[in-house]
Amino acid sequence: MALTYRSIDNTVLDTLRPPDRTYWMVIALLFAGVLVGAACWGYQILVGIGVGGQNNPVHWGTYLINFVFWVGIAHSGTLISAILYLFRAGWRNPIARAAETMTVFAVCVAGLYPFIHLGRVWMVYYMLPLPNQRTLWPNFQSPLMFDVVAISTYLIVSSLFWYTGLLPDLATVRDRARGVRRKIFTVLSMGWTGEHEQWRHYARGYLFFAALATPLVISVHSVVSWDFALAVIPGWHTTIFAPYFVAGAIHSGLAMVLTLMIPLRRIFHYEQIITLHVLESVAKTIVFTGLIVGFAYGTEMFIAWYSRVPAEMEAFRWRAFGDYAVEYWIMVVCNTVVPLLLLFKKVRTRIVWLFSISILVNIGMWYERFVIIVGSVAHDFLPHAWGLYRPTLIEFGIMFGSFCLFFFLFVLFVKHMPSVSMTEMKETVHAGGAHDH
Amino acid sequence: MHRRTFLKLSSIGTAAFAVGCSAKGEDRLHAMVRANEDMVTGQATLYATACRECPAGCGVLAANREGRVIKLEGNPLHPVNRRALCMRGQAALQGLYHPDRLHRPRLRDGNDWREISFAQAASLLREKMTAAAATGPGRIAMVTETVGRTQMALFETVLAHYGAGSPLVFEPRAYEALKFAYAQVLGAPMLPVLHMERADLLLGFGADFLETWLSPVAYARKFKEMHRWREGRKGFFIEVSPFQSLTGANADRWVGCRPGGEAAVIMGLLRMVLAADTGRVAWRGDLAALAADYTPDAVARLTGVPEEALAAVADRLLAAERPLVLGTGAGVWGASAAAAEMAALFLNLVLDPALSLIDRGDRYRVEVADRRDTVLNAFEAMADNDTALVLLNNVNPVFALPGGDRLGDLLAHGDRFTVVFGNTMDETAARADLVVPVQNALETWDAYEATSRTITTLQPTMGRISAAPGLGDLWLDLLPIEERPATEYRQLTARTVQAAAAADTEAAWLAILQQGGRFDIEASLADAPRVDRQAVDRLRRSLDRLPAPAQDPVLLVAPSLRFLDGRTADRPWMPEIPDPVCQVAWQTVAMVHPRTLSDLGAREGDRIAIATDGGQVQVHAYSHPGVSPVGVVVPAGQGHTHMGRYARGQGVNPIALLGDGRDPLSGAPDGAAPIVRLTAAGPGKALASVSGSRFQHGRKIAVSVPLERADIPPPKSKYLDMDSFPLTLPLPEGYDPKRDFYPPHDHHTYRWAMVVDLDRCVGCSACVAACYAENSVGVVGEEQVIAGREMAWIRIERYQDEQDPTRLIFLPMLCQHCDNAPCESVCPVYAPHHSVEGLNNQIYNRCIGTRYCGQNCPYKVRRFNWFTWPFPEPLNLQLNPDVTVRSAGVMEKCSFCVQRIKTARTRAKNEKREIRDGEVVPACVQTCPTQALWFGNLMDPESTVRKMVDSPRAYQVMGYLNTKPAVIYLKKVVQAL
Repeated sequence: MALTYRSIDNTVLDTLRPPDRTYWMVIALLFAGVLVGAACWGYQILVGIGVGGQNNPVHWGTYLINFVFWVGIAHSGTLISAILYLFRAGWRNPIARAAETMTVFAVCVAGLYPFIHLGRVWMVYYMLPLPNQRTLWPNFQSPLMFDVVAISTYLIVSSLFWYTGLLPDLATVRDRARGVRRKIFTVLSMGWTGEHEQWRHYARGYLFFAALATPLVISVHSVVSWDFALAVIPGWHTTIFAPYFVAGAIHSGLAMVLTLMIPLRRIFHYEQIITLHVLESVAKTIVFTGLIVGFAYGTEMFIAWYSRVPAEMEAFRWRAFGDYAVEYWIMVVCNTVVPLLLLFKKVRTRIVWLFSISILVNIGMWYERFVIIVGSVAHDFLPHAWGLYRPTLIEFGIMFGSFCLFFFLFVLFVKHMPSVSMTEMKETVHAGGAHDH
Repeated sequence: MHRRTFLKLSSIGTAAFAVGCSAKGEDRLHAMVRANEDMVTGQATLYATACRECPAGCGVLAANREGRVIKLEGNPLHPVNRRALCMRGQAALQGLYHPDRLHRPRLRDGNDWREISFAQAASLLREKMTAAAATGPGRIAMVTETVGRTQMALFETVLAHYGAGSPLVFEPRAYEALKFAYAQVLGAPMLPVLHMERADLLLGFGADFLETWLSPVAYARKFKEMHRWREGRKGFFIEVSPFQSLTGANADRWVGCRPGGEAAVIMGLLRMVLAADTGRVAWRGDLAALAADYTPDAVARLTGVPEEALAAVADRLLAAERPLVLGTGAGVWGASAAAAEMAALFLNLVLDPALSLIDRGDRYRVEVADRRDTVLNAFEAMADNDTALVLLNNVNPVFALPGGDRLGDLLAHGDRFTVVFGNTMDETAARADLVVPVQNALETWDAYEATSRTITTLQPTMGRISAAPGLGDLWLDLLPIEERPATEYRQLTARTVQAAAAADTEAAWLAILQQGGRFDIEASLADAPRVDRQAVDRLRRSLDRLPAPAQDPVLLVAPSLRFLDGRTADRPWMPEIPDPVCQVAWQTVAMVHPRTLSDLGAREGDRIAIATDGGQVQVHAYSHPGVSPVGVVVPAGQGHTHMGRYARGQGVNPIALLGDGRDPLSGAPDGAAPIVRLTAAGPGKALASVSGSRFQHGRKIAVSVPLERADIPPPKSKYLDMDSFPLTLPLPEGYDPKRDFYPPHDHHTYRWAMVVDLDRCVGCSACVAACYAENSVGVVGEEQVIAGREMAWIRIERYQDEQDPTRLIFLPMLCQHCDNAPCESVCPVYAPHHSVEGLNNQIYNRCIGTRYCGQNCPYKVRRFNWFTWPFPEPLNLQLNPDVTVRSAGVMEKCSFCVQRIKTARTRAKNEKREIRDGEVVPACVQTCPTQALWFGNLMDPESTVRKMVDSPRAYQVMGYLNTKPAVIYLKKVVQAL
């Protein structure tokens, strides 16, 4: 059955019908999870950051691991919605909306972690360049200040981009809605009438936002990588970090897209829109990013050996064979070996395989951040100060809360907003009938 | 609103406001209208007194700020310790301010305690003494710690009044074997002062003179006088012992021998030395005949000391100009110790017949301590005699003696009344009937003769924090008024101190008090040592009675650097600061040879069960190659069942395992016991170790240089790599446009820097304790040390040589105050701040706790406040008012004692001059017994540190990182046997 404008509208708007009891149960459970995380954080603020497992030398633990993890997740959303838009990759249209939504929520969740991480979160405004009588400014030499700028820019641009893309669809919803719903969507759609002039501005604006967001995909995670690369610590102090982190971010993000899209497709009967071809395309890209990441792992090892710097060599030897060897090999296998399975058509066309592999890549990428963040400082210059780190229940509670928060927001979104861009689907239909050309 | 209503309302409001405010309590400091003349706000008043934490009796200056003592420092005028103080001395304040210190007398009430007033306690005591005296003579027994002559005389007078004999002096470590050796060989038991500093070769057999032996602060100084690199020379120190204590770890060569084999090794050496020297003295001939059996291969068979090592030691002895032989430590059998001490004294006599390095006219006060068997016999005799009253002054025999429980039963036997004078509910106090708190040594008047040539005065260093009377005054009150030698103990003290002084005036007394005592006492000069042939016979008898050195596992119980015999286990800094040799805090570990450990199937950190005839304990195992394969070394001092919160239930007490074996001749107790069963007991709690790795992994961290090359400057290096890197001083001269992007800092007049001479550092950790005291560093406790959160601003890193792991090197590590500080650039809020004087200041108020600085510090010296660390009252009174107390969520680290720099600057500014070299002395530098640390201004070309930096031994830890540290290390000079 070919897609028509009507069938697109019907399929997508069908998803916005009033939800059933199961949905609200899920929402309630997720919200309870958020509360668990919040309670853990509250306890940490009250008692001290020591309720986590960080110590000397591992001052950074799961909070920054999760920060980098979520920022990474965010990236492929923008990759799909902006870069692939500019590249005119038609297969991105069905998943662009959901991916962009994932970006916004992932950045929100990621943005919480630096706060959770702080020893004195109530003093966080010291990081803002607020005029003050001491004329004390933040230290713009610090990579953490780069982060503040990069992450806030990213959040603003990706939210605006996301919202701009939503406008015509919000109007479509408004047109078919009644009562309070109509009023809400009237406000949200900001007077969109579908006039020719509006479409012209919209198309321009969307293109410009895509162009603006594109460099951010590269820059934000490069900046995040400089949190580490600008330090002196062996295992961190390396020039490969920016491309390595960007590739890793996209790798993890694409896996997360699969993790989200596969259930979404099933639940909302999007099989016609998010076709197997779309998923396959994502899978192929995962193979590509997986290879880049694998190459980066190899390069790190090679450069460490080639440098002949004992501290550097020891850091990488220890990574692979030391106390965190299990974590290291989880990372290598999940991120570079497992995605290679997607080279087989049989594997990447089976939903079960796709879903399992996407989960494994997510796990692998979480461990990549663990290996980098914990594994480097745990074993750096001074052998006397070497030490190990293990997350505590409180940290797991906060981590659990953050996942719940992400899914809470995402599940709320998909049921109340069009989770597939009707506009872009119609464009696709208009341009070539279907995306599998 | 009417005008009147308005006024009414506003006055009600004002009144409510005022009432509300007053409920908040006093939160202001008021200047005194009429201040005491010796109290200036913001300025410390120093009181000279003595440290009474061990019998060494170092002189201290107690810094009193706004009415409370906040810091102890060694008295620079005192001949024993000369400004230095050990870690136990630094922690004496925590006895004063201990949160579990008793403040009121306690009377046993069944199984419970009833608090009574001091007046009641005094009258009860008098009543009991009178009652005991009424039943007959000798019904009162007293046991005291080592006290000064004044206190001792008073005890004797009072006891005599009540018809009792002299008190017994109980020290868990009474040096019976050493005294016995002098008695047997030279005719009189004595503990003479050694002039170790004049020796050029030191040969020890376990005497732990850097930790607890006789006078550790003095000996650390004297040891480094002889054993530091100076003009191309350096004394040599060899230790032959069953295990490597901190002292053995400082030896140029440590040779392991089987427990109990020390005497045989010395006899082997005597044989070789006598063979080279054909003296015509009769006793030497006898001695040679006695030593003839101890051929190198016999010694090797018997003790495990390789023949070539023995020969090399003998060669060194013969080549040395002024050799000095020291005896055994504490972890030996009494009989072995006695024989070894005698043999060692003979070896000294053979090498130097005049014994010129042994000052027999100057002797340690602890000489008065009674032999262990005397003390034990006295206690045992109580089982069937009718002692009605037992008085115990600041001793804890129930803990410190094997079979302590039995002693406790004896004390509590029948209707015997036991009185304890002490400040803590220790194991002995728990078995007493009446516990009377008395003033701490820092609160009281007294005098103490640490050595024959000194009398140290003790004076109250602060107002009283409890109503407890001084021990002396309490005892004076026990006499009828007309019989009292003085109305106050202070007068008695003044009288004894001034006896035979040049001028007996009040001014002279004040002068003595100010300088901390009299250091000009004439001691009788000893005659030339006379040895008769019977002495050799006595040695033969001692040797004949010796069992063969152990072939099977033996438990060796050693006194601890941190806890001595257990009396300082309750001072929180002591368990918190790790033992320098094993780097474990809070827990008791058994040091065992790695081979023994693997034979047991256990791994380091596992628990092992040690069973002797005396009992069984489970203790963490620590693998250390510096232990005889048959030795299992457990330090004494922990495992208290009573005492305060920091000692109770912490660690393991091995003393009970020893059994009460002792040498019948010398009375020396056994510090060793055969192990009947040694088994692995599986993993227990994680080891509270602060050391990540015991090796340097080929990195240039703690660097040593062979003696031959010590004065050759390393080749100039243009590169920055791990094997060759230049000294990049934190001065403009340390910058090179080829490797530096940023221009040098513009320092104003001063660039503070520290020089750490690794050749002088013995790892005693006194600096660490001094830093805790000065900078209000938090104590985190065992769990948090396991979690890796210890807070020490300066730490002693211990590294083992990768080739020979019995060679240890200690490296004090503190903030390096880098010019190119990796911490400064990464902080988003400028909390680490580079001052114009080069200090890397940490601004606590500004810190938001990103912990990036800690991550980026290559030296890992930054410490984060994971929680707000507790200072339970009244420990908070010890906090330095010049230093901010940090709360949870901020980073902290060594500040180079910026508060002391500021004090010096204020003083200099008032006098319109610049700060002089040596005027700023950080706490760690101040207390270092070996002067391993130096502080000063690197921009002053005449300063000591600037000159030291030019040493060919100077280097910076990880200088190849181009951090330009302001802590410059001098390489340790090593030499091979």
